[in-house]
Amino acid sequence: MSPEGKHGQDKPGAEGRDDEWSECLVAIANSGDRAAFTRLFRHFAPLIRGFALAGSRLSANLADELVQEVMIKVWQKSAAYDPARAAASTWIYTIARNSRTDLFRRLQKFDTPLAAEDVAPDSGSEEPFEQVQQRRNGQRVRELLATLPVDQAQILAKVYMEGKSHAEAAAELDLPLGTVKSRVRLALQKLQLQMAS
Amino acid sequence: MAKHHPNLDFLTAHAAGSLPLAQAACVAAHLNYCRDCQRLVDGLQEVGAALFEQGVAEPVNERLLDTVLARLDEEPPLHFENVRPAPKAPPPILQRLMRGDFADLVWKKVTRTLSISYLRTGDPSHEFALYHIRAGGRIPLHAHRGDEITLVLQGGFSDADGDYHAGDFLFRQAGEESHAPTALQSEDCICLGVLDAPLRFTSWAHRWMNPFLHLRPG
Repeated sequence: MSPEGKHGQDKPGAEGRDDEWSECLVAIANSGDRAAFTRLFRHFAPLIRGFALAGSRLSANLADELVQEVMIKVWQKSAAYDPARAAASTWIYTIARNSRTDLFRRLQKFDTPLAAEDVAPDSGSEEPFEQVQQRRNGQRVRELLATLPVDQAQILAKVYMEGKSHAEAAAELDLPLGTVKSRVRLALQKLQLQMAS
Repeated sequence: MAKHHPNLDFLTAHAAGSLPLAQAACVAAHLNYCRDCQRLVDGLQEVGAALFEQGVAEPVNERLLDTVLARLDEEPPLHFENVRPAPKAPPPILQRLMRGDFADLVWKKVTRTLSISYLRTGDPSHEFALYHIRAGGRIPLHAHRGDEITLVLQGGFSDADGDYHAGDFLFRQAGEESHAPTALQSEDCICLGVLDAPLRFTSWAHRWMNPFLHLRPG
């Protein structure tokens, strides 16, 4: 994670994402900019709420609770955001995903010393070459996602947006587990995400 | 470099945040040894981010923004240090669970060459334990009643299928053939094992222990 003040416009040569949301995060980190935070909130809070309600696993109240929790973490952790390592939306997604996992575990009364963040920490590479690769990956995934057949897109939505295991997705879609696994693999193949051989 | 990796199903579930906690911790520990898998997980995470961005925007009550703004003063921004773990140290997730080093743990002796230390993850359906096998020592021949993940942390072991070294991630499912892992002669071996059902010893010398093998989740 980058120390405070290392990122932002003053970082020479960094092909930092100059999109509006990254700038908001940097402004929050640098000067506690509430107007920037409000802009981020207006854009992302509805997406986080949509994510929370996907698959109807959370009530409206809990969805609001998740929105609050995620947006407050965005505020608190903004200094850890590095525009060279991730798109703002990717960074906010990982916070939302981890917070939702923690919320599910709290609801199931897990008594655990671990937070989801400990298990899936921010991992972006510090190597400039890998950062460029990673940004290309992200762009490619976004472009190719629209080209997936409906059945594959549907399964990816279950897996990612609803946070369902392959077995749960199979049960809900009334499909054999093997079919679900192969659809996920096919979809990922089209997105050019495969094991290095 | 690790030669044995979690399969794509594990990595996808990990990136989506749906893997059971004990298994997720084990995958996270593997990622500390394996840049290739870490890169793939980063890519798989982009799929989640893309779906999130393009997802349904559910209207949020304006009062929620006021509530959050009112809380910001109580929640000051955090500062972050860039801490690099020592290269030989156990993965950070394990250091956290162990609260120290391997030597600080309570080890329970099972056979002359095998000791086990149970770590608490809070996962209600998986046991999470470290196995210490003395150099050249052997784990009695056993079969699997459920799923077993093994991650080599230190030293290495071999079984009929091959040799495994630090960072290697092995997955065995219920009903797969019995095996008897043997630590390499050169040094003691420490592995992490995540189980969802107790093992079953298949050799006559150790079968008497089967009724006493209980899963210790949590």
